[in-house]
Amino acid sequence: MRTPRRERRPAPRSQMNAAMGEPRALRFLEATIELIGRGIAWLVFGMAAATGIVVGLRYGIEVSAIPLQEAIGYMQALVILPGLAYALRHGAHVRVDVAYSRMTPRGRRRVELVGHVALLAPTCLTVFFSSLGYVGTSWRVLEGSPEVGGIPAVFALKTLIPVAAALLFAQGVVLWVRAWRAAPAELDGG
Amino acid sequence: MAEFLPLIMFGVVFLVLLAGYAVAPTLAGVALLFAFGGALFGAFDLGDLGFLPGRLFGIVTNQTLIAVPLFVCMGVTLERTRIAEALLESLCRLLGGVPGGLALAVTLVGALMAASTGIVGATVVTLGLLSLPTMMRRGYDPKLATGTICATGALGQIIPPSIALVLLGDVLSSAYQQAQLGLGVFSPKTVSIGDLFAGALLPGLVLVGLYLLYLFTAAMLRPERAPKQDAHAIGHPTAGTGRLAELAQGERPGASAIAAPGAASSGGASRANEGIATLLRNLAPPILLVVAVLGSILGGYATPTEAAGVGALGALALAAAHRALSVPALREIGAETVKTTAMVFFILIGASVFSLVFRGYGGDELVQGIFADMPGGVWGATALVMATIFLLGFVLDFIEITYVVVPIVGPVLLAMGVDPIWLGVMIAVNLQTSFLTPPFGFALFYLRGVAPPEVATTDIYRGVAPFIFLQLCLLGLLVALPDLATWLPAIVY
Repeated sequence: MRTPRRERRPAPRSQMNAAMGEPRALRFLEATIELIGRGIAWLVFGMAAATGIVVGLRYGIEVSAIPLQEAIGYMQALVILPGLAYALRHGAHVRVDVAYSRMTPRGRRRVELVGHVALLAPTCLTVFFSSLGYVGTSWRVLEGSPEVGGIPAVFALKTLIPVAAALLFAQGVVLWVRAWRAAPAELDGG
Repeated sequence: MAEFLPLIMFGVVFLVLLAGYAVAPTLAGVALLFAFGGALFGAFDLGDLGFLPGRLFGIVTNQTLIAVPLFVCMGVTLERTRIAEALLESLCRLLGGVPGGLALAVTLVGALMAASTGIVGATVVTLGLLSLPTMMRRGYDPKLATGTICATGALGQIIPPSIALVLLGDVLSSAYQQAQLGLGVFSPKTVSIGDLFAGALLPGLVLVGLYLLYLFTAAMLRPERAPKQDAHAIGHPTAGTGRLAELAQGERPGASAIAAPGAASSGGASRANEGIATLLRNLAPPILLVVAVLGSILGGYATPTEAAGVGALGALALAAAHRALSVPALREIGAETVKTTAMVFFILIGASVFSLVFRGYGGDELVQGIFADMPGGVWGATALVMATIFLLGFVLDFIEITYVVVPIVGPVLLAMGVDPIWLGVMIAVNLQTSFLTPPFGFALFYLRGVAPPEVATTDIYRGVAPFIFLQLCLLGLLVALPDLATWLPAIVY
């Protein structure tokens, strides 16, 4: 059930055909999300290294490393927020598949088509629009760190929230269009 | 009617989840649809949604949750670079001559993998691919073999350091604060992730001990269920490893980039010397890593986050020592970590949206009222919560239950005087049992997915039964003897 499905299934033929004739904009969106995902993957090691250094500093020369500590938080937000769309692209988000695993491909496609519109889209849109004011306030004062000597870019960090919502929405659109276009091909194929 | 809306929403979410769309957007989406629908009828104040961005920001920059990506990175590294696999092969050689030796080795490695990766799915799948074919070929009773694998794989929930306990600790600490503030305690006591790790350690070890005892006894009483094996025939490189490698390559074109350290070295000629050297090389480092991570947390030398970071670095260093670390391998580990981390946090975000709307509809007071009216006081309420969590565990994952259910019921139970560490450990063991229980247990699905077709599903179901019984024994033991969970944290901190 909640298996993070690691690209276990190679795309069925109908889907591959659909992918070939896909509009440029969709391919561009997905390539962008893939690129972002591959980029932030390296930050994982940055987080591990920075955590190691923070520990080392504390026991070595008793220095508190506020900027470094905050950098770990920044990296975490950078990994998670844009990572949401990347994980969606790779089907890594878990589902309850008691019934889903027994559905026909057509049934699954229906679940996806409805889910993207009725569940994913409202979530992305609500997060996006409700965060605009929140981020705007932060930008107006160029909100800095609550700590002395911290990284003065909290406003930029907060901007990741609407950006992540937009990316997630974009990936949802890509998946929706793909599922929609694949549907007739599947009917033809039986 | 309107006052029961939160419970109706809960029911609707549950039903929609069964359709099989991704969990996180389902939690958030259904709640938002309820919020907008309620706003139309003036039953919900959309102003509540204004708290959303602040909450999201709090989640993704949460200091304690930094441990999640770091532990994931550590686990993925150990899994993908086949260090865990080499460990299993070595231990199988070591225990080959003991009655039920193979099953004992699987249990021990499973416990260690559980401790180091904390991911149930990964542990069950890896153990299943590696050891099930070998066990079957050695003439093991399929029931015994599959039961062992499922039960040990599910240990990842409770043996610290586990991601599940990190998340549970995060939720319980805020629930505990809330409960005490509600009681008018203004300098509240705290409960930390470290407390929970310490609390879960003994029960986890007791459980492993019970498993080992059961397997050893079963093998002694009925040797035909777990035949002994010739020491030299064990851990044959083509046994499980081949299949895993095959499968891995079929799945991921990039998989060949990662070397298999144990597999490459296990076919050598001078068996005795090579055996001991390989054994030490494969066995000692992962054990040291887990002991170091756990020890530094329990000893108070490092926070769980720091220990997780050092653990991730340690796992990477181990992989480098095994020459399994290349740029493509790193790329894969990083990408896998991003996906898993994003998956976890998306659920936290979805659950946070859900609970925001749940509270907006007055769900908190409703639940509180239900508990206040429960016959049997604290025990009645605890039993109700445990039964609910057990049933929800059939369909929902640890993370969802932790973030959706515990924030609702936790403060109420804690305000009634339940010990937070004990409650956390009980929830963890309870969920683990739930994951093992047919027909819906997660661990069973994972194993079914990788088990060869000649293993009947009913074998798996009947195989886990004794282990479920042992789990229930542990739950009973925890009720009768709460010190089992609370004694170590009291000493350590």
